[in-house]
Amino acid sequence: MPLEVVLLFAWTLVIVFLAFLACHFEDNESDIGSQSNPNSQVQLAPQVGQVHRFFNKAISGEPLSNALYQGTAGMIAWMLLYKLEPLVPDAKWKAAVVAIPLAVGASALIHMIFATTAHCGRIAAQKRFEQPIYLDVFYGHLIPIATHGFLTTFSIVSIAYIQSNLGALAGDPRLNHPFALPLLAFIWGITVGSIGSSTGDVHYGTEREFQDRPFGEGKRVIYHGRITRYADCGIRTSKDISPFCAKFGSPATGLTFGLIILLENWRTLIGMKLGGYLPVLPANLPLVPTVHFATAEGNMAAVWGIILGLIIIAAWIVGNMIFVKWIRAKCGPFVGA
Amino acid sequence: MAAAEEKKAEEKKVEEKPKVEFKFPPNETQLGIIAGIIAALITIFTGLPAVIKAVGMIFAFVWCADSVRKTSKYGLGTGVPSIGVMGTGYGVVGALMGLAFARFGNIGQFYPGVLVGVVFMGLIGLVSGFFSNSEKYIALKIPRLERAMMELGMAGTLALLLEISIVTGSLNFDAVVTRVMETGVIAFMFILSGMAMFHPYNACLGPDERRERTLMVPVEISGLLCIILGFALLILGTSPWGPWDPALLIVFGVVIWVVFYTRFIKTCMKECYATVGTGLIKTIE
Amino acid sequence: MTIEPELIWIVVYVTIGGMLGCLGAHLLPVGGAPAAMGTATGIATGTVQIMLGAVVTGLFTAATVSSFSNNIWLVSLAGAVGATIMIQVVMFMANVLYAFGCGVVPVSGRVAVDPITKAPQTAYKTPQTDGHGVPDVVFISGTVGGFMGGFGGALMYFALLFYANFMYGTAVIAALSIFVANAILAAYNIRGTTEGYWDPKFKKMPKALIGSFCVSVLAGIVVMLATIALGGGA
Repeated sequence: MPLEVVLLFAWTLVIVFLAFLACHFEDNESDIGSQSNPNSQVQLAPQVGQVHRFFNKAISGEPLSNALYQGTAGMIAWMLLYKLEPLVPDAKWKAAVVAIPLAVGASALIHMIFATTAHCGRIAAQKRFEQPIYLDVFYGHLIPIATHGFLTTFSIVSIAYIQSNLGALAGDPRLNHPFALPLLAFIWGITVGSIGSSTGDVHYGTEREFQDRPFGEGKRVIYHGRITRYADCGIRTSKDISPFCAKFGSPATGLTFGLIILLENWRTLIGMKLGGYLPVLPANLPLVPTVHFATAEGNMAAVWGIILGLIIIAAWIVGNMIFVKWIRAKCGPFVGA
Repeated sequence: MAAAEEKKAEEKKVEEKPKVEFKFPPNETQLGIIAGIIAALITIFTGLPAVIKAVGMIFAFVWCADSVRKTSKYGLGTGVPSIGVMGTGYGVVGALMGLAFARFGNIGQFYPGVLVGVVFMGLIGLVSGFFSNSEKYIALKIPRLERAMMELGMAGTLALLLEISIVTGSLNFDAVVTRVMETGVIAFMFILSGMAMFHPYNACLGPDERRERTLMVPVEISGLLCIILGFALLILGTSPWGPWDPALLIVFGVVIWVVFYTRFIKTCMKECYATVGTGLIKTIE
Repeated sequence: MTIEPELIWIVVYVTIGGMLGCLGAHLLPVGGAPAAMGTATGIATGTVQIMLGAVVTGLFTAATVSSFSNNIWLVSLAGAVGATIMIQVVMFMANVLYAFGCGVVPVSGRVAVDPITKAPQTAYKTPQTDGHGVPDVVFISGTVGGFMGGFGGALMYFALLFYANFMYGTAVIAALSIFVANAILAAYNIRGTTEGYWDPKFKKMPKALIGSFCVSVLAGIVVMLATIALGGGA
């Protein structure tokens, strides 16, 4: 099959869609477990006398914990593919269909193990604040955490699989990404986590965690630790966070990661097209990439990619300025006590 | 202030005699020396079965976790994980250097050359600890930070070297590059080693944290690591001892994991304020 | 054994890369946990975390580019642009979330008037907080920080790949490891939150840079010695 440029772009769009799903569920999963930055308030709450029924999933910052789930899943998927692909040499996708879900399932188990150690350890270390371990909170959150984590990990490992086979899927295996599947899964795990923690947490931390405070103000230092512990009916657990954040915070986070993947991959692909590197690859391009290989078209492709990237950067700066000006004019100065 | 309180609490704990029968940890210096020597010895004897290497790895991780604990107790100004990742990062660089030097001065299956990487990483750790702690530079003012960072660099290198030597069955640089680095297994090692270093203290963080309880977690995580590395070894088929070697490693990992995980969870549930099936929160006064 | 110029370039580029990583981390607007509560200006995560996220995104693109180009500046710039785009999208979407999800406008807590657009800040700030969101000047500082960090990471990656003759996976993990150490030194120096280049904490930056310089030089020497032990440079 000759190289089909349109297939390259199509697979990139599939990757973008998966990225959107991945970051959406990543944010929701971290909200259910109350992970990352807003967790500081859940951790602080018993110290200011606010015993709560939240899940305290302090695995680490989201980038590293997601790198853990996705790196583990990528590693197990790689092991399974290593064994299964020789069995079906004509249709390697069959191996992937079996390997990726199994690997992601195993990684979800590991996710649950880490979640339990974090929750029990942190609550046990708060003995003097009279914070008990509620077993229903403990058991009841594990499955939601694992399922949301499963969806994130599944999307990321699929992205890694597609990218490490992108060339083969589009017709020429020489265009595969030079990194192996587990490494790509690890890389996107770090990225998805840092996006989920820097954008998605805002909706949970500023709004949902302090919902009985006025809307439209940053949360003052005196509020810290005094989190909202009552739900619409009864006492709030971390599961009640998810439906709220799924309406705005999580999709916006998903959009962030989707945009990043879209801009990065399209920039490179369009650069390759403008530079003349696609659709006819140089005949002497080795199957295993070597760094010393280069052509004039390749350099031009890199130049075009950088130029497009600089245009995008300038556009974001202008866009942010316009947005900040507009939202300030819309909302006006701070009113209230 | 908080540190002093914590110390008091710790002393109280000692007087009460911890109920847990797990009496392993000697004090921090002793643990460092014991773990360092055992791990270094196991690292240079590359021909050993994977299970023994796994034991060395557990020692290295316990050492790392203890270093992270004693440093992070004072508050780093950024998350606990960062220092663990630093240890892993040093570990990767040190492992690369150690592997590059492995072929010098070896006697049969005995590779003292790899320890060059350990020594260099100790040096880099010392330098970064000096700059982080010195009044003239970053001025973190954490007692014995230099030593802790040095230990992290050395223990991280030993742990990474042991993991690599488990998976490849040798310390040959080319074999490592083709089987560990280019296949991406290194990404998994990087992150799970990091987890074994910083997760214990990060997960048990709080005023009533207890050293014995915290140090069960790195052992438990090492068990998980052993299971997955065992499968990797089985699939790559690189063990000089045949398929029994990975099988034994997997069984060892499962046993270690089950024992320490259940013990940790039970200890937590016993030592926390209360473990209740369900219940309401105290009402706000 | 003679030391070839390639080996010196490894040390030089690793040092430059590490120092750029440290400098870039200082320029990033990091709000940490307070920013997630809308109590501080900046990105709502830790220095190391956001820097790592940006740099690996850059490294992904740099790796793609390095498979069809062997020009060090093209590869490094590709990585820099990738990291910058990642940071920018994150900052912009964080603003969108603050504005529509929490009803707060981006405002700097450290200055009364924005140094670039001259927009007033104090009137928009919630009392008893340290600002919120990513206002214009913070956005630009973060853009520059992301660019420097990405450039440093990709430069280190290319030096390891091209001069030390590592393979792709080895080079990226080693580059990431050295980068992490430098970013963490910056994080210790920042200690919590920072807004970027006009923040008072930025004045402490040279101290961290000296530390970063020494650590990077040592790391570069380690890589160089490993390359020599493996049989010379390129």
